[in-house]
Amino acid sequence: MSGPTDRIPVLPGDDDRRRTLVDAALGALPTALAVALGAVPIALLIVESVSPPVTPSNYAAVADSVYPAVMLRSLGIGAVITAVCLAIAYPVTYWLAHVCPARYRLPLLISLTLPLWLNYVVLNYTWVWILAADGIVNTALTGSGLVGQPLELLRTPSGIGVGPIELPGPSLGIGFVHIYLPYVLLTMYVSMERLDYRQVEAARDLGAGGVRVFLDIVVPETYAGAVAGTLIVYARIAGAFATPQILGSPSEQMIAQTITTQFYDVLDYPFAAALSVVFLVVVVVGFGVGALSTDVRAELKRW
Amino acid sequence: MGDSSERAAADRDIDGERSGRASVAGRVRRRITAGVRGGFFRTTVVLTALFLYLPVVAVGYLSLSPASQPSIPLDGVTLRWYAAVLTDARFVRGLATSGAIGAVASVVGTGLGLLAARTIVRGRLPGWVRAAVAVVVAIPLFVPTVVVALGIGIAAGRVGVGFGLGPVLAGHLYWVLPFSTFLIASRYATIDGRMTEVARDLGADGITTFRTVTLPQLWPALFASVLFAFALSFNEFLITFFLAGSGVTTMPLEIYGKVRIGATSFLNAASVLVLLFSGAVATVAASLEPPT
Repeated sequence: MSGPTDRIPVLPGDDDRRRTLVDAALGALPTALAVALGAVPIALLIVESVSPPVTPSNYAAVADSVYPAVMLRSLGIGAVITAVCLAIAYPVTYWLAHVCPARYRLPLLISLTLPLWLNYVVLNYTWVWILAADGIVNTALTGSGLVGQPLELLRTPSGIGVGPIELPGPSLGIGFVHIYLPYVLLTMYVSMERLDYRQVEAARDLGAGGVRVFLDIVVPETYAGAVAGTLIVYARIAGAFATPQILGSPSEQMIAQTITTQFYDVLDYPFAAALSVVFLVVVVVGFGVGALSTDVRAELKRW
Repeated sequence: MGDSSERAAADRDIDGERSGRASVAGRVRRRITAGVRGGFFRTTVVLTALFLYLPVVAVGYLSLSPASQPSIPLDGVTLRWYAAVLTDARFVRGLATSGAIGAVASVVGTGLGLLAARTIVRGRLPGWVRAAVAVVVAIPLFVPTVVVALGIGIAAGRVGVGFGLGPVLAGHLYWVLPFSTFLIASRYATIDGRMTEVARDLGADGITTFRTVTLPQLWPALFASVLFAFALSFNEFLITFFLAGSGVTTMPLEIYGKVRIGATSFLNAASVLVLLFSGAVATVAASLEPPT
């Protein structure tokens, strides 16, 4: 970004001071909105989470019973889905940036990232029709005689897990990838576009196979985009509400659903606040670690 | 579709063979691996595009069902559910509310985003102040939406504002602000700052300089920002869900309520209309200010 260096140096004077004041006044408006609706509510959340008047009991309750499991499940699903999105985004953005003929590049990029701006409630809902017992997939499978009975694809837990990390069921996993893949595609593309293709060609000429080229050149050159994409979608997936609500099984309760229940049905604001603060701290710590790298910070500036 | 890099690789192989450096078998093997590689990438792209768009097409197809609970394959095709959606009082009201909130949030949000972008890129303020403004504005991008929504919800209760249209509008403004700000800031950064200084040295005041020098260069970004912000606000669900109370309903809330009850052709038609509308807005915006 261009800053003060662009300006022709002028002698400081009354006009300068006046312009600084005007700049500050103009900047104050959006900043006040952002503080009033961002910083203040988060501060209030922290206050609420230790009320009444000051007690750690809400946090003790968070550590109790099912809540650590819900938190871990949310974070685990966030990690699994992010990994899947990256695995898809790597070949797709590589093809777009380096193989695809230039005239198709922009229209294709726009169509692959357009779902970013579509309604995620509706996009999740489209999968209900596809995966339901009498939905499109099952009708095709039973109609062609491939399976005798309709598969239970909708709102079924996967039942597969490693320790506390549980893989999302088919409908939940597919819904999540559908919603968050476009974000990862967009961030990865920006990085991939700056990868110098001559390095790939040189490596191929020296006899490197696809895997070697990917591990030794593509990954090191584009990891900042991958990390930025991860940071952008990870917290959103772990904190998603509509997707698990529409496509998840009841046993796949995620943290946003728990918080919403406490807010709406139980009306236990201090406990909902304590849950949110714990979740926020986990996310912010992860974010801080990721954003330690200057490459990643440069990548995130685009957002 | 042409595949220039692989053609180039194949050409190099032929040259190599002419000078006797590569065997025929080696050339054939490399051709095959190049073909497989190209096939793998193209297949991934095609599958990804299908994955993203087939569900939309499927719901579009099912929305044409004559029955209220479509069965596959459809026994006939009708547009009656589209007519039903457009004459349903609740849906039309939800649509009007979403449109009105979107209009205000996108125009005011873009105005605020312009001010924030100007402060971050050009403001005559210490560097740390401008960085702090950028961080505060960016909060909703990195704080989980449920935390933001709960925070605003609890804050609204504490301050005594309660729930309803006002808080929803404020929440939407806050939600679109970072998108507007950073979209406009990236364009602002490409404008030569010396031009504005020259205009001022020639005697133009701040407003005239902005109107005649800066604004004409910012128009595409501003217009794109209004459209993107509209699409964002129109589709926003979670913040609205926390702040709406019982008096306000928007299109996403309305659809979410119907999804919970059970899927019908009515809902399919409503979904297609919402997707077409926000898709059209976003496509126009992207053609003005392409992603990246």
